[in-house]
Amino acid sequence: MSSAPRKTAGAGVLRAALAVAHKELGESFRDRQTLLYTFVLPLCMYPAMFWIMVQGVLVVQGQKQARDVTIGVVAAAETAEAAREQLAVNEEGRGRIEVIALPPDTPQETQVIAGLIEAEEADALLFLPAERNDADPAALFFDSTSSQSETARGRVVSALEQWTAELRQEAADARDIDPEALEPILVQTRKVNPSKDDGALVLSLLLPMLLVVMCVLGAFFPAVDLTAGEKERQTAETTLLLPIPRLGLHLGKIFAVCATSMIAATLNLLALGLSAGHLLGQLAGLGDGAPKVELPLGALISIAPLAALFAFFVSAALTGVASLAATFKEGQALLGPVQMLFMLPAMATNLPGMELTATTAWIPVVNVSLAFRGLLVGSASAGPLLICALSLTASALLAIWFSVRLLSSEEVSLSSETIPMARLFRILRSR
Amino acid sequence: MTDLTSAIAIRAEGLAKTFHDPQRGVVEAVKGVDLDCRKGEIFGLLGPNGAGKTTTLRMLSTILAPTSGRALIDGIDVAEDPLEVRRRLGFLSGSTGLYPRLTGRETLRYFGRLHGLEGDRLEAAIARAFDAFDLHSFGDGRCEALSTGQKQRVSIARAVLHDPPVLILDEPTTGLDIMASSDMIQFIDSRREAGTCVLFSTHILSEAERLCDRIGIVYDGRMLAGGSLDELRAMTGKEWLEEIFRELVQRADAGEGAA
Repeated sequence: MSSAPRKTAGAGVLRAALAVAHKELGESFRDRQTLLYTFVLPLCMYPAMFWIMVQGVLVVQGQKQARDVTIGVVAAAETAEAAREQLAVNEEGRGRIEVIALPPDTPQETQVIAGLIEAEEADALLFLPAERNDADPAALFFDSTSSQSETARGRVVSALEQWTAELRQEAADARDIDPEALEPILVQTRKVNPSKDDGALVLSLLLPMLLVVMCVLGAFFPAVDLTAGEKERQTAETTLLLPIPRLGLHLGKIFAVCATSMIAATLNLLALGLSAGHLLGQLAGLGDGAPKVELPLGALISIAPLAALFAFFVSAALTGVASLAATFKEGQALLGPVQMLFMLPAMATNLPGMELTATTAWIPVVNVSLAFRGLLVGSASAGPLLICALSLTASALLAIWFSVRLLSSEEVSLSSETIPMARLFRILRSR
Repeated sequence: MTDLTSAIAIRAEGLAKTFHDPQRGVVEAVKGVDLDCRKGEIFGLLGPNGAGKTTTLRMLSTILAPTSGRALIDGIDVAEDPLEVRRRLGFLSGSTGLYPRLTGRETLRYFGRLHGLEGDRLEAAIARAFDAFDLHSFGDGRCEALSTGQKQRVSIARAVLHDPPVLILDEPTTGLDIMASSDMIQFIDSRREAGTCVLFSTHILSEAERLCDRIGIVYDGRMLAGGSLDELRAMTGKEWLEEIFRELVQRADAGEGAA
């Protein structure tokens, strides 16, 4: 066979393939889900979400920089005074660094220093030797589990870098040499909290996010299965004929989704809590300084009521949205962006400086994650926890109302096609 | 007269349903249906696809709320006390509507419990249903694994487990094979003797002719005529149900009022 007919045949196949691809693409782009995932999410939703996250980071960082911190300086009177002049610089938009001189005989003992930080005498302690001494370098003590102490550490380290650079420059000028020729002045940073607290800190970065993610993932498939799946299986009519009040029927579905969500979250938290210590130790090959991770049973029990409220909120919201879909596949597609709305704020709570306050406690999702984190490191206080409970209760009730409203709608419960979001508000408003 | 009224198990008066369709706007699916169906009577709703049969049955069984008009099931208003109506109703459709991951026995237990049967009464009712519909060989298997005919038998058992005075069947033989279809017709026929009021929709003329004490012809959301086969013959002057149906539809299309 000559090569010309072969080429012609090859071109024919390619032409056919292109024609098929053209038709399939055209058809795909008429599919709402494909459009959503191909264009709408990447072009609109994700950039908008990340913009909001970045703005949140900037706000948090700004707040962190605007905080006043107190540094206890342990040094001879002259050195302490020099430190006050160098550290206590007032810059616009930044909080004050207040320097207090502590008795020069304050012992460099972890327990004593931890006691001073806990008593809020100072947020961090700086020990400065009278002269440069490699055997006894400057040391900065802080509590890594305290956001305030951690902020103080960051700001003092930054200020000390500038000061030590100046000292190095002065010493070099005095000897008329290049400052690079001199050894840098060392400032050691030391944590006063026990490694067990560090373990809690590690868990506080993992478990709160996992709580949110697993609640959402645990609710995801049951929410679709009990709503869109029911329509697809043609059992919706059977269910509507059950001799029970409709409210009971719809609440029953939400309870079922919520139960799965809570089981998934509980099992995952327990599994991770139990295995974290072992895995972390193995992965890092760490020695005595390795964080000691123990199962935080107290925190897990304490967070349970808030987690249950959150699970109700997630389950009701996902069930409501999934009920708009006519098939399982469309239900999954609808819930994709919705689950991101839950997961991204939870991820944002891992940003440094984020903690449960009277303000953040009002923000659903963010609040449960921060509350759990606070309970894990022992920094949560009653007021914000109460606000968190109120906010989650309100969110759960609102989501249940939303879900029941949709499930009660004839247009939604028996529709053979997915309800577009544009009709959502009309359905919610209708009597 | 009193006896006749008390014998009425299903009554619809000016029953209407309007939907809002994004493409077509306001759609009047049912435009004022009147019907009476007595205890121990089999009433067939006959009409083409899209005539409004399913919507009418769904309103009567409380799945849909009527836009206007009134419907009573065993004397209970569907709008005022839908829950009590559902307690007095057995509903069946061609799609069976069985939960695929439950077994036949679990399905019966679930429905029986929600209908207020408990303990020995519930187990006795399930045992009776297993005997009556011969579910023994497959009733403990998941419904998703059953044949169409087996599903239909479980579905019938579910619909009558609580011994309802009214049965509403929406195209119950659609999609069934000959044997399953024949079983269904026998079942419907048997309910007459039990004193149950059976209202069923179909577009299969032979089924309606064979089973029904009275027939209602539904077309374009309206009840064109209703009565026994003889009454319909007298009304139209035609012999066969197919001819009667055509005659009534032609009159409706020509704008003539039906009886």
